[in-house]
Formats: sequence, structure tokens, C-alpha cells
Amino acid sequence: MSLTGSDRFFEDYARGDTFEHRRGHTVAAADNQMLSLLTMNTAQTHFNADSMTGYLGGQFAAPLLNACVALALAAGLTSEDMTENALADLGYPSFRMPAPLFVGDTIYAASEVLSTDEPPARDDAGVLRYRITARKTDGTLVVDTERRALIKRRVPWQSRHEELAARVHGTAVRLLDNAPDRTGKESP
Amino acid sequence: MTAQGDQGSRGVAPNDYEDFPPGRIFRHHWGRTITGADAILFSTQTHQAQPAQFNAHYAAMSGLPGRPVSELLTFSVVLGLTVEDLSESGGPFLGADDITFTRPVFEGDTLYATSVVSERRPSGSRRGWGVVRWRTIGTNQRGEPVLSYSRASLVRRRDPEETS
Repeated sequence: MSLTGSDRFFEDYARGDTFEHRRGHTVAAADNQMLSLLTMNTAQTHFNADSMTGYLGGQFAAPLLNACVALALAAGLTSEDMTENALADLGYPSFRMPAPLFVGDTIYAASEVLSTDEPPARDDAGVLRYRITARKTDGTLVVDTERRALIKRRVPWQSRHEELAARVHGTAVRLLDNAPDRTGKESP
Repeated sequence: MTAQGDQGSRGVAPNDYEDFPPGRIFRHHWGRTITGADAILFSTQTHQAQPAQFNAHYAAMSGLPGRPVSELLTFSVVLGLTVEDLSESGGPFLGADDITFTRPVFEGDTLYATSVVSERRPSGSRRGWGVVRWRTIGTNQRGEPVLSYSRASLVRRRDPEETS
């Protein structure tokens, strides 16, 4: 592994590729309250449990996860596989939450590449368009969105990544490589 | 002590369906300067594995003039700034469309939000409620658009008997 994965440049994605992302996320109370307030969201359905008794006839027992936070978590769970080398996020043409999320729910995300042939604004990067779905452990679909992101092309970026990695890791690698007690090698 | 809920029983009263004639423009309150602490907190707490957002060295190597703020933070803040005017007494999130980032945001930039009512209709399934759609543009301190999107919400009606 280097600074970023060597198989996460624009050329590595093709329409129809699918990914089941490895890590999940259990929604914490802080995710909802802290990130809602951090982002100036004044809807108390995200941070006042008492208010839920008077909201829509009390049909929700607990605060609803802020949809912006749900979108960020879903996209974030896809990011190491999909957008690690992104130069910019271009947009989300559609975003739906078919079911609400609550503190304690655990979500996993999956991706499907929809297109890679959109003309980019620059020649060292390409536009990756992919669908993100996030589901709870019982299979309920909770986030359904499309994302467009500008991803670095292998040329010219991979060699620049390697130069940077050589610079920042080089000295430590030389020191470790000369150490007498390195793992898996016998001392002379 | 009773639940204040979303009754609007004191303080700032939320807008109702009747307050959203198509074409009405809202210049939303407050604005928000995005600090480096905001950007790192948001990116790390939401798993944004994009080093440009949390590694200044990588961002510089990538030709960026600074660490770009997660576009999802920009979206969250701009939408957050619209909530008191548009959807604070509304129903659960119904969705957003055409979320488009037109310009990067960097640490130190200040975000503002402006919206227009694009359409409204009575709810087919929920008596006493309507569905309102707004178009929102987020701008920076120079007034340059950084983001636009459209979203809709269920909104309470003052007069449930009206049918338009």
C-alpha cells in the first residue's frame, strides 16, 4: 500500500462494476446531534428527543438521523474504494431516503458504476458516476443516491504519488531495512 | 413541563404551507465560516477516505490551493442554514435532486444560503399537510455559487380545509 491504493485511479473503474464495501457504521447519538448542530441544522427532530412526542402524532419514538449526515455516512463508507483519489465531488443528481435511520442502526454501503464516459473538464481526471445504496442489517434500503466525482487518472498522477511516498517514507524504510531485529529476519 | 415539540408555542414561529407562494425568495440567516476544525471533524467522523480533505501535503501535491472542504459538509451547512425558514416544522426528509457543486470551498470560506419556492401542492395522503419544493443556492463570501440543489418537504397547513 502506498499513499492511496494503486487500483483506485479513474482507469480502474468500468460501467457495471459493483462493490460491497467492507466497513459498516453504527449510528451514534453524537453523529446526529453533534453533526446536525455543527452544520447549523435547527430541526429539533435531530436533537430533542422530547419533541418527538408532539411530532406527526408521535409516530417516531426517537430523533430522526439528519439526512445530510446519512448521505455523508453512506458516501463515506464507499470512499476508500471509489473516491480515494478524488479531486472534487461534482454532485449527487438524486438522493432519497426510503426509510428513516435512528441511533443504534447499523448501515453498510454498496456501489455500482453507472458511467465513466462523461466528458471531464480537465484531461488529467475523469468523471466517475456511480450509484450508492446503503442498507440496515435487516436489508432495509435507507440511502439511495447517485454520485458524480472527478477522479485522478493514472497518468500523470501515479508517478507523482510514488515520488511523494518515496520522499515521506524513504528515510524510515532505510532505517527499518537496516535494523538487526526486523520481523521475519534473523540477526547476523 | 410539557413538550414544546414543533408546536411553535413560543419564540420563532415556523412557516406554514401558506407562507410558501411559488416564487417567494428567502435570504437565509446567519451564514457560516468553515474552519479547519469543522472540515477535519466532519470528514473523519463520516469516513471520508479522501486524503485531499485531511492531508495538506497530499492536497498540495495534487495542485490544490488548500485542503478542500468535503462537498458533503458544504451541502450539510447550506441546507442547515435553510431549515429555520423552510422545513423546521416539516415532515421527514423526502429527498433532494440535482445537487451540483460548482466551485470548491476551502478553510476560511463563509457559506450563505438563498432559496426560492419552486412549487407546492396539497398532500394526497396526509390531510392538513402540503408538499413544497424549493431551489437553493449556496454562495461563498464573494457571492459566488458553490452549490445548488432542489428539495421538497411536507409542510403543515394553517387551514386544512383549503384545497389549493
